[in-house]
Amino acid sequence: MFDYFLEGFGMALRLDTFGMMALGLFGGMLVGALPGFTTLMAMAILLPISFFLDPIVGIPFLLGIYKGGIFGGSIPAILVSMPGTGAAVATSRDGYALTKKGKSRKALDMALFSSVFGDTMSDIFTILMIFPIALLVMQFGPPELFAVLLLSLVIIAATSGSNPLKALIMMLLGLWLSFVGTDPLGGVERFTFGIFDLKSGIPLLPMLIGVFAIPEVASVVMKNERTKQLASVLGERLSFKEFRASFRTICRSTVIGTGIGIIPGLGQVVAAMMGYSAAKNASSHPETFGEGELEGVAAAEAANNAVNGPTMVPLLTLGIPGDNVTAILLGAFVAQGLRPGPQLFEEQGATVFAILVAMVFANLMFLVIGYFSIPIFSRLVTIKVSILIPLVIMFAFAGAYVFRSDSVDLLMLVGFGIFGIIAKAAKFDVMPMVMGFILGPPMEYAFGQTVAMTNGEAVNFFLTERLGAVLVLIAAPVIGYLLWRRMQTVTVTGH
Amino acid sequence: MLRSTIKKTAGLLTGAGLALGLSVGAAMAEYPEKPITMVIPLGAGGSHDLNARVITSIIPTYLNQAMIVRLTPGAGGQKGTQEVANATADGYTLLFTHNYIDMLQQHVENLPYEPGEDFVPVARVNYAPIAVVVRGDSPYQTMEDLVAASKANPGGIQMAHSGNWGALFVPAAQIMKALDMQWNLVPYQGGGPAMQALLSGDADVTMGFPSTIAAQVDSGDLRVLATAGAERIYDDVPTFAEVGVAGDVGFMHRVVLAPADTPQEALDTLTSAFKALGEDKTFTRMMGRLGESIDIIDGPAYEAMRVEQSSAYKTLVESLTSQ
Repeated sequence: MFDYFLEGFGMALRLDTFGMMALGLFGGMLVGALPGFTTLMAMAILLPISFFLDPIVGIPFLLGIYKGGIFGGSIPAILVSMPGTGAAVATSRDGYALTKKGKSRKALDMALFSSVFGDTMSDIFTILMIFPIALLVMQFGPPELFAVLLLSLVIIAATSGSNPLKALIMMLLGLWLSFVGTDPLGGVERFTFGIFDLKSGIPLLPMLIGVFAIPEVASVVMKNERTKQLASVLGERLSFKEFRASFRTICRSTVIGTGIGIIPGLGQVVAAMMGYSAAKNASSHPETFGEGELEGVAAAEAANNAVNGPTMVPLLTLGIPGDNVTAILLGAFVAQGLRPGPQLFEEQGATVFAILVAMVFANLMFLVIGYFSIPIFSRLVTIKVSILIPLVIMFAFAGAYVFRSDSVDLLMLVGFGIFGIIAKAAKFDVMPMVMGFILGPPMEYAFGQTVAMTNGEAVNFFLTERLGAVLVLIAAPVIGYLLWRRMQTVTVTGH
Repeated sequence: MLRSTIKKTAGLLTGAGLALGLSVGAAMAEYPEKPITMVIPLGAGGSHDLNARVITSIIPTYLNQAMIVRLTPGAGGQKGTQEVANATADGYTLLFTHNYIDMLQQHVENLPYEPGEDFVPVARVNYAPIAVVVRGDSPYQTMEDLVAASKANPGGIQMAHSGNWGALFVPAAQIMKALDMQWNLVPYQGGGPAMQALLSGDADVTMGFPSTIAAQVDSGDLRVLATAGAERIYDDVPTFAEVGVAGDVGFMHRVVLAPADTPQEALDTLTSAFKALGEDKTFTRMMGRLGESIDIIDGPAYEAMRVEQSSAYKTLVESLTSQ
């Protein structure tokens, strides 16, 4: 195996690999920065190009688009409070608060450094532990997924603010909104009132842009800050001292993100929120989170990027794609005559390691590309408000529309925008709502699967086969209560 | 190596540019005079998406126009289908779908369109036969073993599928009905997670397309018990017909449809373009690399199959929902 690794390492050191990877990283970053355009679309469109390239060039090219795209998503989240994906929601909270303080460059730098660190460490961990991870992945089925998702929601509600009751109300609202549409298991329509447009449910993107970006735009407009710029200064770059101060948080989030990446079906949204919650909980000043805390950006970004390494494992060892991104990669592998599965390492060990090593190089290269791109992006906030606000509004509407090309989404955007403005005025945090909305459907699905699996013998099923899931379920309320208590005492004494 | 990579990339880009340039310069009177949109009622990264990317990168050669993919997922495929049903029937909006969305859903619920009347088939691109698989260490050596165990313990065998009324659920239901037995059907979010459930031991049986299960079959992690159709795919594995399941069971047909009133000349142009596509060397090579077959059938021939599918699905749904 070590021979393969050395051989693969050598294979990855190619100029054209690096060239195409750089192209992918930069292009992916641009696409990811445009709300409504997903990296998934970019990968699907460019997939045929990879067919004509050498495997060690074509696949790193696609991986570059993917990695660049994830970071690209945090750019509008930080600069104009417009997260284009669920994974960027946690980043946007402190990131945009930093922008308002004139520290957008520091926020972007922190996002870059922590995501590269999280991704690199999880990739290296994956290369070293690929077979143990493959065994571990098999331990998670629907009952475990349900238990972990429920625990995640409990943690989010307990740590999200000083008023857990308000957080809980918002989370339940989010869960209810996720019920609208066709029930994924039984095919029954729920809360659609016979309207066809509601049949496929409420789309995520108009909700994200509506509740996060529109209220911020509205608050700038309502204060009538005509001459004042959103953040007049470009701001300074991140200092090494600031990075070091967040280093513990970055490491913690990397471990959390890698762990969550191993569990199939959880993904970046959960990782970012858990990393953020954990950092807030461990902090001696949790009340500054959400007010523009560099550690908040670091926690979210390191965690959501650390998911990347382990999610490749089921694809490489079993040939099973866990999500749409890995499905496209599977297409690219297969088209190259590499058939992911148990024999891939025996037959093409060197090539596989070359691709894994290229992933690590992609991260390091992105450090450079990102570092020199950030000054260009951060200029955005120096545009005069009278121009920037119409631009943001245009991108909000274009982004909400382009995802499904459905004009109903524009109505949804306006509706959620108004809701966001009211919620902000009433001091209700919209984050628990969005998380309930995002995590509700997979949790419901896992629950339905679990019910189907038990086949009417629930007690026997859980106690003999699924003790792990039961333990997590019992622990969830206890952990939630302890976190809430801790949050209360720290916030009270902290003031 | 770098140079050849640049060359290939540049070649591709010029190709794309040429297609665009041609589209501008094409004769105005003749169809197609502008790019054609192909709507996929499914999400990004699925097998339809991948197939469509290959089709749309080659077919401009034969249409002298670009073909653009638009993904419109939602409501189990109904959103995109409705969009095309309502589109102007001028040959510039097509639907790339499969037989379960196309012909089965109408019997399960009320649709905002009439599949049989609102669409005409342009071409079937290819089809994929499904295979019944168990783990390599499973006690079921043959399909008979599995059927016997299923009959002895109704509902005790867990079958993982990719979603209700989907490409694994429907053949499973058809097999259960034909062989008079009962499985416990557990839904997963796609064929990948269903396969993972089988491998991890959560499920006893699932199904998969030969192109996606080849690696695990070779390694012995999976055992194929039966494959769809009347002709054997693996020499030592019986077909559905041999184990007592007859008819068009377990095939996913990927088809291109057009709104019903599309002008005949547009349909003819499209049909001949797809026919030429089926013989294109680059197309066959790229589809071969994806592990997909190519079996182009023209519109009228596929229409006959649609009628058969519809009546078969109707009886299936009636027998399943009447219980």
